[in-house]
Amino acid sequence: MLSIKNLHASVEGKEILKGINLEIKAGEVHAIMGPNGSGKSTLSQVLAGNDAFEVTEGEVTLNGDNLLDLETEERAREGIFLAFQYPVEIPGVSNLQFLRTAVNAMRKHKGQDEMNAAEFMKLAKEVSKQVDLDPAFLKRGVNEGFSGGEKKRNEIMQALLLQPKLAILDETDSGLDIDALKVVSDGVNALRSEDRAILMVTHYQRLLNHIVPDYVHVLAGGKIIKSGGRELALELEEKGYGWLGIKDDDTSN
Amino acid sequence: MKSVPMLSSAFLHPAGESLPEPLLALRKERASALVDMPLPTRKTENWKYSSKYLKLADDMAISLPAEGKTGNSLAVPGYKVVFINGVMIPEASEYPDLDGIEILSFNDLANDEAEALPAKLGSTLNHDQVQFARLNGARFEDGLLIRLKPDAVLDQPLFIIHETSADASGSAYPRIYVEAGANSQLTLVEEYTSSGEASALVSTVTEFNLADGANVTSIRLNMEGENVQHIGATGVLQQRSSRFESHCVGFGGPLRRHDLQVRLEGEGAETKLNGVVVTQGKQHYDNHTSIDHVAAHCNSEETYRNIAADQSHAVFNGRIHIHQDAQKSNADMNNKNLLLSNGAEIDTKPELEIYADDVKCAHGATIGQLDETSVFYLVSRGIGRRQANVLLTMAFINELVQQIPVEAVRETAQARLSDFFEQTFQEA
Ligand SMILES: Nc1ncnc2c1ncn2[C@@H]1O[C@H](COP(=O)(O)OP(=O)(O)O)[C@@H](O)[C@H]1O
Ligand SMILES: [Mg+2]
Repeated sequence: MLSIKNLHASVEGKEILKGINLEIKAGEVHAIMGPNGSGKSTLSQVLAGNDAFEVTEGEVTLNGDNLLDLETEERAREGIFLAFQYPVEIPGVSNLQFLRTAVNAMRKHKGQDEMNAAEFMKLAKEVSKQVDLDPAFLKRGVNEGFSGGEKKRNEIMQALLLQPKLAILDETDSGLDIDALKVVSDGVNALRSEDRAILMVTHYQRLLNHIVPDYVHVLAGGKIIKSGGRELALELEEKGYGWLGIKDDDTSN
Repeated sequence: MKSVPMLSSAFLHPAGESLPEPLLALRKERASALVDMPLPTRKTENWKYSSKYLKLADDMAISLPAEGKTGNSLAVPGYKVVFINGVMIPEASEYPDLDGIEILSFNDLANDEAEALPAKLGSTLNHDQVQFARLNGARFEDGLLIRLKPDAVLDQPLFIIHETSADASGSAYPRIYVEAGANSQLTLVEEYTSSGEASALVSTVTEFNLADGANVTSIRLNMEGENVQHIGATGVLQQRSSRFESHCVGFGGPLRRHDLQVRLEGEGAETKLNGVVVTQGKQHYDNHTSIDHVAAHCNSEETYRNIAADQSHAVFNGRIHIHQDAQKSNADMNNKNLLLSNGAEIDTKPELEIYADDVKCAHGATIGQLDETSVFYLVSRGIGRRQANVLLTMAFINELVQQIPVEAVRETAQARLSDFFEQTFQEA
């Protein structure tokens, strides 16, 4: 489904990604682990099409089509979804209006009828229950005044509504307490399917106890330095990043 | 030395002789004060950003005739008075005969009924700051007198449609005077709209005189066409414990100017002024507000937002004057601006004059651009860039639009604003 070959990307002239190679097939769940500053969010943002990051070399294809040629909104319509590490707050646009506009943009792209306000409200209420967000959050501004955990649940809610082909989850576990982690991982597990792929980006392996990946990759210094199965995550947990000779200066979380 | 441009004498000749005698006399008196009226230049402090947009040709001095079509605008759920080119059209108007409430065209006043008016018309305004209100005073051909007796309550909003109909060049001078008796209540909606293509000038004056405890809400929608230059003044006088609330929504034009002057003369009076301005293309809009805290224990709260796209130009000047005896005044002024292009210009200036020592006065002004992170977030969900821009631009003013208390107006404003932004972002 997604094929990344020798991807280099830089921001403000500084090279962050230094030759990433990754193949993800439909139905698979991949985890990318790495210390802070290793380029995990950069990779996620580049895939979603944030033009603050410049791709300097390499190629990315989605089901054979050149992804890098597409605008961000086109990538989304082709099925790329990024759950942001830091979702933005947008006061003045209600969550409901935002979600309906997004869902209808996708439906329009697929040649389906747009959903009216009442139909959408019904759907949105169901899905908000699924991620344990009070429907009152639908009326608030997008992420406005949401706690960290509420923002993450709102991201998963969007994934559930938009039903992407490839869901990229950037540190979706950070800042969650145990209960919220359960809710979020149930949401992600609900997304798992034959024709969908999931790319989880995380510093810690605790999320991987709930969402069991098929493959684990270690990102350091802008490159994938090691790949393996689930056991690689456990090994990392046990031995720390130092085991691979990587400096992990992170003290947060 | 270059001579100062003067208002052409062509503008000194009013039309419409059917006004009652005292008002004809008033007009004549105001006209004589105009003989030496200098036109604003960029050296005129309160016009420095806007004088270049003022383009008065002699043929615009002609009074536009009170004819033409109306009703391209609001679906009016309440009472309605229609003016075309400053003259009331009774056939198109529908308003009630309610106890304690008089709604009268100046032209329908008997001479003795009109006798008290000359002392009132203009009394709410500081004419040195609103030079063009004098022009209105010299030229109005009709007007609306709204009088609420003490405790009278208008049960529905009163809509006043001011249509400028210009098939040939000319000008119009709409005028409204509202006298709200003690504890009376009124919501007034003024909509300024236009038809026809010829260049026109509209010079308006609206006045609100609030007695003790009166509660008045004023909504003003400015949506005339590209052929119309609009110079409007609103004056508000507030007595003890009265409450005034204003919602102005303005769309840019070749020249748009609105002066809003509020005087808090009685203790415990409250005023709340909201304003939204949007400009695109080469449009202009200039809001000048002025709040005088004359009495103690009054509150004022002012929130204005400008959005300027393309090469357009928006101006906000907010003056707050807290007089010496106005202790315990509470004044809060906030002006936020959104520039949608590098070619657009926004000028914002607070003017605070505080002569009392025990007051709270806060003010803030910002100028910013659309937040790229927010745009990216929206488009990453499949929302088109243009639609994302429209959503975020609407978001900037949504809080103010949502506060418009009359649903029909709120919806019209919302729809017009979103159409406007769709157009703004067409190329994007
Ligand atoms: N917008 C940006 N401007 C400048 N440097 C950035 C920007 N975004 C990321 N970086 C830098 O790129 C590197 C990788 O960051 P990031 O991708 O966020 O890492 P991770 O998500 O793995 O913690 C860091 O050194 C970070 O400082
Ligand atoms: Mg990160």
